[in-house]
Amino acid sequence: MKIDRTLTWVFGAFFALAIIFGTATAQAEKTLTVLTWNIPYFQDGFTKWVTDFNKIHPDIKIERLDKKGTEWSTFYQTQVVAGTAPDIIDVQGGLWLEYAAKGGLVDLTSYLKRDQDYTKRIYPEILKGWVYDGRNYGVPLYISKTLLFYNKLMFKEAGLTEPPKSFDELLEYARKMSKGEKSGFMTLNFDWLYWPLLAMNGVELLTPDLKKAAFNTPKTVEVLEALAKATQEGAINKISWTGRWVEPNGAFAAGTIGMLHAHAPAFLWFKSKAPWVNEDTVGATHIPGGWSTPNSHSMLISKSCKYPDAAWDFVKIATSGEGAYALGVGTNNLTGDKIVNEQLFEYFTKNIPAVVPVLKTQLEYLDKLCGNWPAAKDAEIKEAFYPELQSALLGQKSAKAALADAEKKVNRVLRKR
Amino acid sequence: MHKYPHWPIHLVLVFVSALMLVPFIWVFKTSLTGENIFSYPPSILPKDPHFFYYVDVWYTIPFFRYLVNSVIVSAIVVVANIILNAMAGYSLTREFVGKKAIIVLYLSCMMIPFQVTIIPAYLITKELGLLNTHLGMALPVCSTIVCIFVFKASFDAIPKSLIDAARIDGMPDWKIVFRLMLPLSKSAIATNVILAFIWSWNNFLWPLVIIRDQNMQTLPLGLSRFLTVVEDTTGALYAFCIMVLLPGLIIFLLSQKEFIAGLTKGAAKG
Amino acid sequence: MQLIKKKRTRELLLIWFFIAPSLAIFTLYRIVPLLWNGVLSLQFWSPYKLPEFAKLYHYEEMLFYDDAFWQALWNTIILMASAPIGIALALFIAVLVDTQVRGRNIYRTIVFMSYPVMTVAVGIIWQWLYNEKVGLINYVLISLGIIDRGIPFLESFDLALPCVIVASIWQVIGFYMIILLSGLQNIPPSLYESAAIDGATAWMRFQRITLPLLKPSIFLCFVIGIINSFTNFDLVYVMTQGGPGHATDLLITYIYTVAFKLSKFDYAAAMTIVNFLFFLGLALLANKAAGGEAGAIDVGK
Repeated sequence: MKIDRTLTWVFGAFFALAIIFGTATAQAEKTLTVLTWNIPYFQDGFTKWVTDFNKIHPDIKIERLDKKGTEWSTFYQTQVVAGTAPDIIDVQGGLWLEYAAKGGLVDLTSYLKRDQDYTKRIYPEILKGWVYDGRNYGVPLYISKTLLFYNKLMFKEAGLTEPPKSFDELLEYARKMSKGEKSGFMTLNFDWLYWPLLAMNGVELLTPDLKKAAFNTPKTVEVLEALAKATQEGAINKISWTGRWVEPNGAFAAGTIGMLHAHAPAFLWFKSKAPWVNEDTVGATHIPGGWSTPNSHSMLISKSCKYPDAAWDFVKIATSGEGAYALGVGTNNLTGDKIVNEQLFEYFTKNIPAVVPVLKTQLEYLDKLCGNWPAAKDAEIKEAFYPELQSALLGQKSAKAALADAEKKVNRVLRKR
Repeated sequence: MHKYPHWPIHLVLVFVSALMLVPFIWVFKTSLTGENIFSYPPSILPKDPHFFYYVDVWYTIPFFRYLVNSVIVSAIVVVANIILNAMAGYSLTREFVGKKAIIVLYLSCMMIPFQVTIIPAYLITKELGLLNTHLGMALPVCSTIVCIFVFKASFDAIPKSLIDAARIDGMPDWKIVFRLMLPLSKSAIATNVILAFIWSWNNFLWPLVIIRDQNMQTLPLGLSRFLTVVEDTTGALYAFCIMVLLPGLIIFLLSQKEFIAGLTKGAAKG
Repeated sequence: MQLIKKKRTRELLLIWFFIAPSLAIFTLYRIVPLLWNGVLSLQFWSPYKLPEFAKLYHYEEMLFYDDAFWQALWNTIILMASAPIGIALALFIAVLVDTQVRGRNIYRTIVFMSYPVMTVAVGIIWQWLYNEKVGLINYVLISLGIIDRGIPFLESFDLALPCVIVASIWQVIGFYMIILLSGLQNIPPSLYESAAIDGATAWMRFQRITLPLLKPSIFLCFVIGIINSFTNFDLVYVMTQGGPGHATDLLITYIYTVAFKLSKFDYAAAMTIVNFLFFLGLALLANKAAGGEAGAIDVGK
């Protein structure tokens, strides 16, 4: 009984205290909020950005938020509806298209035209990845694109000496290396990352005007059937089509995957799980044809931003010069700034030499970028297309039927409001 | 007493327990070794186990501060749940006009999953001025339908004679609920405590959406730190999950005695 | 006369006063959002533009053109239909741990432990258990010689949903068990004792005393289980994100995807309303069939 009473009092006190402290205080000063995408460990570099920014704008406070990718859009959109959208955002892949198309982002074209010392440092092929409807909405924060990692030990075991040079060779090698718990080939599939497998065979998703589906061709059927067959046989690990990040990379780290088609950040992730990974055991090369899907992170400014000019200054600091260098070093990535990347290569060569060959691939074949279409309904198109592709790859439907259904669905998405 | 053999019961329970434990063993094992769970073949014994990851978790995120926040929010939720649910549960044991409508309303509230309420709930919390606060995090779960019905069931099981006797003695209704019925419903209280605690303790999406200040974050929000793309944090991730799991388990263990048949009933009747 | 009226009024006042706080919370955080969804479902809306009236455009879209919606609805129904399995298992275990066996505390705790674990961990572990090449389940099956190649559980359009259901039952069985245990406490042991003295066997005692008196708790579990099936978002989301294709998409995960990944809040709102009305209708029908609300049985009788 005594304990009950004491507990009741304790709880009651907690309750009362909590209510007393449960009042929010308002911010009266000028603030710019920056929302980053899953880089909570990036602290020192961010502080540097803020310091450099406050040199130009001492009266504006920077608030930092960071959310993991799976909750990023939920958080951002709730804030947008509530009218308190973060001003400067770091976005992965093609998510920005929705916001741009609906008028939620600031058009940076005039800023880019005006500030040529900044603009001329950025790779033009990469910069145009954030153009929608003739307007440039974002700049690269850190860049990455897909490449082919291969397990040299598994290659040797299967009697292979070099990475494959064609689509057919890719499938053949995959078959040779698959037995038991080992699979010859694995790919990431989010954000269109698997698209190079189709692009290398000349498959186009949409017509150049982005108004109709263009992928339902006999060639695509052929390619899809080949991929499905390889998947059925286990040469292509089925997680390629259903996994996200941990499963594919974890499998490669466990030494059971012959070739992994992923973007550069995967390297340091699976290397940290696999002490056996080094230059003699894992190679980095391009997929046959040099095609790749970029998965870069960009910085954009929300339309609701009260101080867009100041925000633009922050963006410039973060994406070029010393600020970009700090980001590159702090997250082990390359940036959009040509000059900074040269410095970063020096840094990586000295400190993490294993990653240099991987990063080299990131700046090659910039003319063979695929899998990113400036379509407003990018996410919806993906939703309409990918499940059908999955059903063909996992043997649920014939390739012909799946592509026909996908075409119908994608066209509907493009046609309706 | 009861004359049936115990060993078949043990057999079944051991089998069931083993099944239930398998996933646990792996979570716990990986928290001790941080090994790649995709390596083959799977092994049940940990290789070179160490507690380093548990220490790692404590320092990688502001664990203590998050813990305090979680405790405060859960305390509010648990206390509020017991009071509000007992009250509502009592009302449902009485007859009144509109009772059916209320029950239908409650049941339909259960059918509105949290995810579809995120944006309006955020706007409402904003209007109430409770963004970024402990109360704001606690409010949506301060009462739950399931627990109301648990109380109702428990109150219904109290012999009417006791209540009538108290009424005749002139006890006011609120006293009857809090001084007579509640003490007799220890298992319902225990159920409320356990469930309310777990739901608020593990609540992830709601605090994520309404908290902007890093210092106000609750424990589950620390999860993101262990799911980054750059480093391998499997060991720390699982150690984190075990650490978050412990308080809920402790609360459950503490309220074990409420689930022992006979003890409470016997004592109360005397 | 006047005294009685006053007393009844006072009583009513108290009853409503006691319901008010929880009702207020549900109104604010469930009913109002539902109404918001209702209004939104009839509009074309985006956070950046003013809303336009859309009449029944979204409903038409959903019911006639959206395969994924129907798949998700079907999946939710299947999950719902599997709730009795979990409840039956939980009942079985609850009754067993309620007996006088030694160590019942340990058993109870072990079964319960799965419930408070963060869903993220549950999802990852079960993904691994089901892994086609390196997962434990396939490893055991292959070692026992039952199959010679791993089964792609979560990558198969047919097996994925049952697999998610199994993981879901594992997670929630402790929860049902607690509710049932709480209900078991409401049965006075004196009833068992007098029945035992009268010569009733354990099975007869279970049938005649336990089951009937546990009916309200079982019914509660039932209702929760059913409702859990179409609100259980986390596990599916972590394990399969609704894949492969839409094979494991529940209405709630599909609604979430449409709202927050495709930014189509208006369409998601329409699906929310349909989701709600469908299951409310089902619940009312079930209620009628069961003959009344989750009423209790007066032990005094």
